[in-house]
Parts: sequence; C-alpha cells; structure tokens
Amino acid sequence: MISEDLETRLRGTVGTILREPFTKRTWSEFWFLVLGAALAFFGIAFVGLTMVVGVVFAITFFGLAVIGLSLRGARGIGRIQRGMARGLLGEQIEDPDPFSPRPGFLGWLQSALRDRTGWRSMAYVAVKVPLAIFGIFTAFSVWFDAFTCLTYPFVGGNQPSEFGLIRVLFQPGYFSIGGPGWLHGAAIFFTGIVLFLVAPWAVRAVIYVDRFLMQALLAPDAMAIRVRSLEHARAQTVDASAATLRRIERDLHDGTQAQLVALAMRLGMAKEKLADPDNLDLDQVRELVNSAHRGAKETIVELRDLARGIHPPALDIGLEGALSTLAARSTIPTDLALSFNDRPTPAIEAIAYFCVAELLANVAQHANASQASVTCAQHGRWLRLVVRDDGIGGAQLSKVGSSSSGLVGLTERVHAVDGRFDITSPPRGPTVVTVDLPLHA
Amino acid sequence: MRDGLVQLLVDRGFVVTDAVSEPDALRRSVERDCPDVAVVDIRMPPTFTDEGLRAAIDLRNQHSGLGILLFSQYIETRYAAELLADDAAGIGYLLKDRVADVTDFVEALVRVASGGTALDPEVVTQLLGASRRADSISVLSAREKEVLSLMAEGRSNAAIATELVISEGAVEKHVANIFMKFDLPVSQSDHRRVLAVLRFLES
Repeated sequence: MISEDLETRLRGTVGTILREPFTKRTWSEFWFLVLGAALAFFGIAFVGLTMVVGVVFAITFFGLAVIGLSLRGARGIGRIQRGMARGLLGEQIEDPDPFSPRPGFLGWLQSALRDRTGWRSMAYVAVKVPLAIFGIFTAFSVWFDAFTCLTYPFVGGNQPSEFGLIRVLFQPGYFSIGGPGWLHGAAIFFTGIVLFLVAPWAVRAVIYVDRFLMQALLAPDAMAIRVRSLEHARAQTVDASAATLRRIERDLHDGTQAQLVALAMRLGMAKEKLADPDNLDLDQVRELVNSAHRGAKETIVELRDLARGIHPPALDIGLEGALSTLAARSTIPTDLALSFNDRPTPAIEAIAYFCVAELLANVAQHANASQASVTCAQHGRWLRLVVRDDGIGGAQLSKVGSSSSGLVGLTERVHAVDGRFDITSPPRGPTVVTVDLPLHA
Repeated sequence: MRDGLVQLLVDRGFVVTDAVSEPDALRRSVERDCPDVAVVDIRMPPTFTDEGLRAAIDLRNQHSGLGILLFSQYIETRYAAELLADDAAGIGYLLKDRVADVTDFVEALVRVASGGTALDPEVVTQLLGASRRADSISVLSAREKEVLSLMAEGRSNAAIATELVISEGAVEKHVANIFMKFDLPVSQSDHRRVLAVLRFLES
C-alpha cells in the first residue's frame, strides 16, 4: 500500500519535472524575467537621470518639475510592470487610482510631488534593479548554460561558454572531462539536460520574490484603499443628502404648497362672492370656507409629518425615549430592550432612529408578523441594533420596490459612518436585521 | 388642487371638458374634445420634472388654435423662453399662486383662450432683471418701465390703462416711446408686441 502510494507520488513528481520546461507558464515566466529586467534597467536609467537633474535644480521650479516628471514616469513604469505581471504571470495586481492633478501648473506640481503611487513605483524600480541583476546571474544563467550545453555537441568548439552562477559555482573548465571526444560531448549534453530541467524552478523562485515586491509596492497600499473606501462613503453621503433634499422639496411642492394654493383659491372665491352682496349665496360661501378650513387642517398635519421626517423631535429627549415612542406606536406588538451608558452623537442617534423606524414600518407592512423586538446595546465604542420579527421573511436588499429601496437607503446611511448592516431573512422567516454603528461619528 | 380649479372654473361659467393627471391622458383628451384652452402643470408624472412643458409644446405643434396656460409652482425663465420660441399667441405661463386672485386669473385665462398672452409678472421681472440690456432699460422713465412690464405680461393697452389708472391715449404714447427708444418695429397685435419685447430683453 505504502510503496504503491509512494510510487504514484514519485511518478507524479518526476512527470512534473520532465514536463515543466515545456509548459506555457515556464516560458511566460522566462519572458517576464527578461522583459522585467530590461524594464528595470530602463527605469533606473530614467529615474536616476531625472532625479539627479531634479535634485540639482531642486531650488528652482524647474528642478521640482523634473522631479514631478520623474514620479509621473515611475508611475508609468509601474503600470507597464503591472500589465506584464497580468499578461505573463496572470498575477492580478490592483490598479491604484489614476493620477488626477489639481488644475494649474502649481496644482499639477503639488499633486505630482505628493503622489504616493509615484514614489512607491520609484521604490519598486530601485529595489527591482538588484533583483533583476540577481535574477540574470542566477536564474537566467541556468537557462543560458543549459542552452549552450545542449547545442555544444552540434555546434562544436573548445568549450561551451559559461556564465553567471554556474561559472562561479563550478569554475571554468568543469566540463572538460576526458578531453575532446564523444564522451566529452555526451557529458556536456547530459549536463545541459539537467540544467534544462532545473531552469524553470530557478526562474520561478526569483519571480516569487518579484510577485511579493509588486504586491507590496505597485498595488494600492492599505492607506490608499482606506482613502478610496472613505471617498466612496463620502460620495454616497453627499448623494444621499442631495436625494433627501430633493425628496423634501418634492413633498413640500406636491403636498403642502399645492394644498396652500388650493386653500388660497377657495378663500379667493369666497372673498369675491362676499364682495358682491346682491347675489350672495351664503350656502356656497359656507361650503367654500368649510373646505378651506378642512384643507388648512390637513396641511398642518402634513407639514408636521414632513418636519418629523427631517428631524424627529422625539430625539431631543434622547435615543431611549425616541425608540420607546417608536416601539409603542408600532402596530405590531414590539418588545424593546435598551442597554447603553454613553449617549451616541446626534448623527448616530438619528441614523439609529431612522433604521428602527423604517424597519418597524417594514415589519408592519410586509412581514405579516405577530411580534417584533428591538434591542439596542452598547458594545464598547459600538452600538448594536437588532430588529427581529416572526413574520414571513424574504426581505432583500436588492429587490426593487418601495420597501426595499428604503432598506438600500438605510444601508447607505449606515455605511457612510463605517457601520455595518446585516439582514437575514429566509423564506418563512424569521427576519433579523443587525445594525452596528459607532457611538461617535 | 385640480378639483378646486375645476370648481372655480365651473363657478365662473366655463365648460370644463376634462381633468386629467398625466401627459398621455392630456393628449388624448385634447384630441377628443378640442378645447379652447388647456391648463397644464409643468410637473407631471412620471418624473415630475418638465413633462407638462413637453406635452404643452407637442400640443401646440399639433393643434394650432389651442391656447395653453402653463401652471407652475416656480418660474423658470428657460421654460418661458422654450414656450415662446416661435409664437406668443395663445400662451400663458403663471405661478399657481395667481389663482388666489380669481378675477385676474380668469382674465388671463380668457386672454390665452382668445389667442392672447399671459405671462406671470414674476417671469417679466426675471427677464427684466436678467436682461443684458439693463443699460437700455435704464433709459426708460419709471412710468415707461411699468408700461413695459405690463405689456410684457401680455396686457392690452386698455388693460394697462385701467391698471395704471391713466388714459388709453397716454398708454399708447408710452408704448410708442418704448418702441422708439428700443428701436423695435411697431406692431399692432398684442402678442406680437410681447414677443418683440421678450426678444429684445433676451438678446
């Protein structure tokens, strides 16, 4: 059993070793090594020259501009390198954000000099050069010597030329077993085969280091990723607040304002009728005033609801009171469990309030539930809200519709303050929504 | 709002052929009933931006005799310009608030229905304020400016005379002065006058 297993594994390993020099991957890596080295030498020449000129003239704008150009060039070299890694190695290195200078020459200069991506690309070029030299003297030399050894018996000559690592390790002349003759040729050919089988692995080892370097210096770093996610969150917040303003304008326009116009119209008609005492029809006027009065009261209610949607007055007494009011007002019996010591900042309180309000409204409208519960607990610097119901489930974030677009809006508000929004709602329920919010935003 | 308006118009002896809430229904309704005038809100479904204006422009192209009174909560000068692009005859553009003064509103509606023009004073103020001809307006006397505003709203000489409590002859004199100072071609019909003034202000 054991020997059979060993045999299979041994056969597999030998097969891999024999096949490896002929795989596409090996040759892609070989070209990556060669082209990468060429790019590194070109890069160091460019960066070295421009940086020297730039630093010498750094006291003038000219020098700073040259340094800026150097950084822009380094960025470009980084991009080419990433493209090569993607095309030849299949290594996915995320692109950093594109260079977007501020307007004007000074803006460009400032943006270029503070471009972290540019500096990091430059660092990559600087580190890559020694690695490229190392790679050529080790990995590339194995390929080179394999090639010269394999062709030696057919090309002839005194000695196959030796180069790099092999030359250092074995000293010139190690091939000359037994002087010229067929044995000598066969020995060199055999050496060539061994080198040929070793070469792919040598290249792979060097490239392994390069992959690490590229991921470290050419991909966006943790800070850039953080900045990107913050920018995204900020954009969402700005959009969300613009959308909120738009909604408020809509509500005012279509509701309150229209009602006031209708009100003014009725009163205007009543006024004109009263101004003509000869044909006065008191019933008509009474009807007009009555409907105007009704309209005025409806408008007041609408306006109050609208104001509450902008900022719930209940929050003035604190989140606890506001949530109790919400739970009490819900049409589904709702248990409330609150445990927090520190009062969150007003923005967080408002988000928490609107989350609970929207979620309870969803429960009442869609869940077909008989019981709901709201818990709000402090965990260190975080506030965890859990809204649970025993309804039919099936709530989704992606679904298009009035109820779920509300959910999407909520998640955006929560993400904007670095919070988390989780919903589990299997068919037949129960639905549990968990919202984590920082106490201070 | 719509019900109230219908009630007001019926009360004032108009025949209301239809009251609808969206542009397609409006088109069908005009097609069927051929009314003298359509009162159209600029904001209509589905997006509540300027569907009403689009529908109004279509209707004008298809029904030449139809008067259109656009109704809006806000005045956007660009809307007025689009509406008046080729002709000011039978066009009105009023703030919704104007219905509160029932008589003025009804007058404006009648004017539009009979091929005249009714622009909200707000539109005129905006045009006067935004005009790049501000310096040429300053050559007018205070009285002439008042006459210009009323003329731009679409009022006839007689109506302007009543409004300003002066004789119609005095109004005619002011109008002639304005046209002379602005170097505009004198025109008899009221709505051509409006257009001439607006063109002048916009240029």
